[in-house]
Amino acid sequence: MNKYILSKKLYRNELATFYSFLIGFLIALAVGSLILFIQEKNPFDVFSLMLKLSIGSVNSLSNSLNKAIPLILAGLGISIINSVKLWNIGAEGQIFMGAIALNFVYINTSINNSQIYILLLLVSGFLGGAFCILFPAITKVLFGVNEIITTLLTNYIVFGLTIYLINGAWKDPASLNFPAAAYVNESVYLPTVLGKLSSGFLICILFTLIAYYIKDKSVFGYEMRIAGGSELTAIYAGISAKQKAFFAMLIGGGFAGLAGAIELLSQTHRVSTGISQGFGYTAIIVAAITGMRPIGIFLVGCLFGALTIGGSVIQTIGVSSYIAEIIQATTLFGALIAQFFFSYEILKKDEND
Amino acid sequence: MIDVQLMGLLNATLQAATLLFIAALGELITEKSGILNLGVEGMISVGAVSGFITAINTESLFLAVIVGVLSASAFSSIHAFVTVVLKQDQTVSGLILTILGLSLSSLIGKPYVGKKLEVKLTSLIDIAEPSNIFQVLLNQNLIFYIAILLMIFTAYILKKTMFGRRIEAIGEDLKSADSMGLKIAKTQFIATCVGGAFAGLSGVYLTLSYVPYWTDGMTSGRGWIALALVIFGGWKPYRTAFGALLFGFLEALGPRLQTYGFEMSPYIVKITPYIITILVLVFLTIIKNGNTGAPKNIGIPFFRENR
Repeated sequence: MNKYILSKKLYRNELATFYSFLIGFLIALAVGSLILFIQEKNPFDVFSLMLKLSIGSVNSLSNSLNKAIPLILAGLGISIINSVKLWNIGAEGQIFMGAIALNFVYINTSINNSQIYILLLLVSGFLGGAFCILFPAITKVLFGVNEIITTLLTNYIVFGLTIYLINGAWKDPASLNFPAAAYVNESVYLPTVLGKLSSGFLICILFTLIAYYIKDKSVFGYEMRIAGGSELTAIYAGISAKQKAFFAMLIGGGFAGLAGAIELLSQTHRVSTGISQGFGYTAIIVAAITGMRPIGIFLVGCLFGALTIGGSVIQTIGVSSYIAEIIQATTLFGALIAQFFFSYEILKKDEND
Repeated sequence: MIDVQLMGLLNATLQAATLLFIAALGELITEKSGILNLGVEGMISVGAVSGFITAINTESLFLAVIVGVLSASAFSSIHAFVTVVLKQDQTVSGLILTILGLSLSSLIGKPYVGKKLEVKLTSLIDIAEPSNIFQVLLNQNLIFYIAILLMIFTAYILKKTMFGRRIEAIGEDLKSADSMGLKIAKTQFIATCVGGAFAGLSGVYLTLSYVPYWTDGMTSGRGWIALALVIFGGWKPYRTAFGALLFGFLEALGPRLQTYGFEMSPYIVKITPYIITILVLVFLTIIKNGNTGAPKNIGIPFFRENR
């Protein structure tokens, strides 16, 4: 009947994910150009301006890398949770929760040594993120409740909680009509290392290595992969799949929470709705596009950080910042399309068959 | 007076339920064929914005509904193409469909933020203060009745027609379906696009009637609640409708709590539907012992091995 049949390739190119990403990115640039063209803007001008203002100088480059921090950390969290084949769509909420937990600890404690204090605040951010995913994690491992929906809906709850806090108990009277909590003291700001680049980026590098170690080198990571791969194998190997899933979720949530803490200590310096601008969602793209590989997440996170900065600066010439988001999402769609050609081949059917 | 208040609550319940139900019903059809589409939120948004823009520019409601439905359906075909034809991960594709749908609709809707709609879907018989259930039912607009028809129609198609049985066969047992010679890819593709069309109708209802204006992120998680509704309804149209009424009631009740004498921060009231959705989902999964009645092949791409 069909002249052609689809066949799974026996050997998949090792760099398939990387090539797919490149192809996806090119497709996304083409789509972005098309949209700009429809809006009567010269795509070449817009893209070169984006490039110039996102990586053209030390200042803009450090802005881009600062933006990359939450994307990378949340992306790493998502990738750790995906080791057990679970999805964390709640990174956005966990980022906010990290900032909320930090502020809660900040208000209720006082330590003179600012380095120890910063460390404590970062840890509380991590714990806040882990706390945020606690309920989805418990209900997942105990009852098998769909974690995609519970983690996603948690985003709306935590965002609502943020608005509630910054309009009520935590509202800074000095912030007037813009609801926000009071600024934290300058002594706990994360110092900058180069230009405007926050030292949070160093933490980010450290956690990329930690995530790489956890996922690819540690016993825990190996057990997570088995637990996520096959229930039976896990049972034979004496691995508690539920326990692995539970801890993977908490650690992953913590990574996103840490992102919120760093964002607060290095960028916003207070709890406001600006703690995250959809970083948790973009992080899903970053994680998925790299096939959940930590080093890849780091690199793509940097690129997407630059794209986000580029997207926000082109608003000055009347181009919508959503172009950047559309390019990011389309990159993944393009990569998925390319993946197909790396995993399958179309063969001509033998007439005698 | 209490009657009028109660009827107001009922009215708001039906409106909120209609919005959730249509999207959930579409997703139900898609999932029945074994395709999971997490892009509901994005598809609703695309339908909402394109319907709204059409209504503003043409002042034709009919055209607005058609454009909203078709554009969301066309948008969902991206998911169909990537997952059915190219057999890629359905979770990833659906999530990105949501992200892309939201940013795309923000982009094209930007010039229309804050614009007032001259035409609006009005109820068939306008009753300012309905005082009994009958009047409340008459007070709904056309899409409400379409939703009821779609519910009956979908339940009938899925249970009683050959086409419906085929969808179910594909969702439950791919190998047998393939042996029977069913056109798996075609059926799944159609089911996904139908799901998109339903989400589009839900979006049109949102911008042409429920809140007749356009603003970023106005779908505010309703697509995800619709996804939860499908699980709640156990992949059955009538039960999903019941769930929609329940969730609609909760959404309508929130802002009214104060009039009934409950003192609650409006910010907390806003998040109650999400909390309750999670709790209901957890409760339901526990009593069903994890066996929610999902189609067996959901999320598994069809691939006929070499022979």
